[in-house]
Amino acid sequence: MDMNHHNNSGWSVSFRVFRQKTGKDAHYDTVKLEVDPDEYVIDAIERIWAYHDRSLSFAHACHHSTCGACGMRVNGVEKLTCITPIHTIARNGGIVQVDPLRNFPIITDLVVDMGALYRRMAQVGHRPVVPLAEEPAGMPVRKSNNGEYTRLSDCIECGLCISACPVAASTPDYLGPAVLAGALQHGIKRQPGLLKLVDSEDGVWRCHSAFECTEVCPSYVEPGTKIMQLRRNVVSERFANLFRSNR
Amino acid sequence: MDKPKAIIIGAGFTGVATAHDLALRGFDVTVVERGPIANGTSGRTHGLLHCGGRYAVKDHESAIECIDENIILRKIVPEVIEPNGGLFIALTEADLEYGEQWIEGCEACHIPIEELKPQEALSLEPHINPNLLAAFSVPDGTFDPLRLALAFAATAKSNGARFHLYSEVEDFILDGSGNVIGVKVLDKTSDTNFELRSDIVVNATGAWAGQVAGMAGADVPVKPTPGIMVAYDERFCERAINRLCPPADGDIALPQRRMMVVGTTSYEVEDIDYVPVTKDQIVKMLERGSELIPGIRDAKARGIYMATRPLVGAGSVGRSIARTFKCFDCRETHNIEGLVTITGGKATTLRLMAEKMSDLVCQKLNVSVACTTQEVPLLSYRQFYALPN
Amino acid sequence: MSTPSNQPSSKNWYKWFDPRGKDLGSYAFILNRITALGLTFYLFLHLIVLGQLAIGPEAYDNFMAMLHNPIFVFGELLVVIAGIYHGLNGLRVALTSFGIAIPYQKQIFIGLLVLTVLGSLYFAVRMFTA
Repeated sequence: MDMNHHNNSGWSVSFRVFRQKTGKDAHYDTVKLEVDPDEYVIDAIERIWAYHDRSLSFAHACHHSTCGACGMRVNGVEKLTCITPIHTIARNGGIVQVDPLRNFPIITDLVVDMGALYRRMAQVGHRPVVPLAEEPAGMPVRKSNNGEYTRLSDCIECGLCISACPVAASTPDYLGPAVLAGALQHGIKRQPGLLKLVDSEDGVWRCHSAFECTEVCPSYVEPGTKIMQLRRNVVSERFANLFRSNR
Repeated sequence: MDKPKAIIIGAGFTGVATAHDLALRGFDVTVVERGPIANGTSGRTHGLLHCGGRYAVKDHESAIECIDENIILRKIVPEVIEPNGGLFIALTEADLEYGEQWIEGCEACHIPIEELKPQEALSLEPHINPNLLAAFSVPDGTFDPLRLALAFAATAKSNGARFHLYSEVEDFILDGSGNVIGVKVLDKTSDTNFELRSDIVVNATGAWAGQVAGMAGADVPVKPTPGIMVAYDERFCERAINRLCPPADGDIALPQRRMMVVGTTSYEVEDIDYVPVTKDQIVKMLERGSELIPGIRDAKARGIYMATRPLVGAGSVGRSIARTFKCFDCRETHNIEGLVTITGGKATTLRLMAEKMSDLVCQKLNVSVACTTQEVPLLSYRQFYALPN
Repeated sequence: MSTPSNQPSSKNWYKWFDPRGKDLGSYAFILNRITALGLTFYLFLHLIVLGQLAIGPEAYDNFMAMLHNPIFVFGELLVVIAGIYHGLNGLRVALTSFGIAIPYQKQIFIGLLVLTVLGSLYFAVRMFTA
């Protein structure tokens, strides 16, 4: 039933997909697919929906790692499925398990509610478009002349880091790596509201250096490094506040 | 007086922009979408905010639409746009010849262009083809596809629009005379069915418009036309780079995040729920992309995918606002009241398409409220999740 | 893998210790927690031992004799190993918290594992041949 794919030297891979409808028990459905090893995991999921099971629900939009919608756990590891070639996570004849992200409420099947992440990113004032001249130091970007260009900042709010973080697994109140890295973009210099938000028990001090966030981030944000940088900024800002006039 | 009820099928660009427009005009809007926001064609756009240059020779109407909407979108939703400009570059003598008509066309369509010496272009964009013969700077831009759609959806939601995602319209509800008075929906999150009643149903399903209209016994002459996009793993340029030639395959390369996206091709298919990538198209993008930016030849492909554009069939019956998109009133075409379709178009003109569709809807329902979307700034895209359902 | 309970919850505390699908930074984190628990437990034991002093020199001497039992020596070796690992990883966490050598955090972890093994062998030999 599968239509043709990139070329004809196909692999046969089974996909064990997490399913859950409201009010029913969670379970796994397994579908065997003919795939091209160079195709992406999202292609396989989409084919399962198109040709095998129209009730399968999953999130996706851009298919080129700019929207952040298609994050899932593939064999237990967080991946952005639109840029994860099948040959990097399976072999011919193998089984791939696909689960929704952790630490977000499951809406249905592979779809999770990313609302909390988006709300927190709004809270820390992360901007998806930032003039090059305003990008904080340490975020390697292609240089341009006189900062004339604006560019989309790197974090795509995909949630992989939050899914992978062991601290986020223990409490929903932890702001999370993406949010803390996002706060760094704006900066906490002379921003008492933002400082209070990140300089808190559920903010920058909750991190226990597992660095899973940096491991899984598909967008080169390196949230773990950003959290450590933010800690230093928080300390120097608090120190500087001692010398500023109190309000 | 009760608000007129509008149901919009499809939460791609046209659907969310129409939801925004109708909500502003006082409608009770419900959007029904079988997946998440912008999961069809809209999400997969490479994200070029057209200046209109591409259409300046053969299609002045489209070109003017593009430049006008380009300016409006920069005003109402700057949050998701990189206003970095673009370049049109000529690489062959044929390109140069075309260039002469192109300059005239841009002038006729009030698209501001500026000729650059090849050296100037290269110092702006060191990675473009060093053998370029001519270059023109244009007011192109790049936008984030999903976030553009979310911004419209968020604003619509703040004005009362309701969104049912992962909910598939399985059938229309018809009255005794075959007119559309509602929809039957399968909620895929719970595997349950529900019904919605309407004064008007807007079919904003883009490439699927024909399929959906078919459920009411109508049809729409939309030709689903897939094309490939390849995203390479390095941001070679800061601006959109266009080939100065008649619209062809692979004549656009633009930056998205840390990638360059090259597109596209064009062919017809029947089944568009899944369109496979073929290797020959990947090769084509590599070749054409490398002509614009030689570094692409050695770059790694980060994502490769197909996007299916809805092209409206030529010479078709229907209210022709512009040749790129069309609104179809089912009452005029098939004597079925209560259903209108909008299809065709491009991402850059989403707001305009919504305006024309909403004008038609208002006319049909005797609502005399004018469009204000060209001025109303959109909310932050994140508000779509912050606002309660 | 069974049905995941997906939500952040302190009820999922045991999931910290699940190393599947995780990378070296998480292993360091997990071992840090285990050694911390072990050392804390040992601290309580240590206080109990000191409490023996309060009873009197005979009770204390009897208790000390018991500690020459190989099982207790092994237990003490575990404490030493835990102390070495926890201390070294603590240095690693301190370094990364100051933004030093973060891109090398995995290599540093491997290095300190090696040092822990070497230190463990040294002390094992010392303690069991005393």
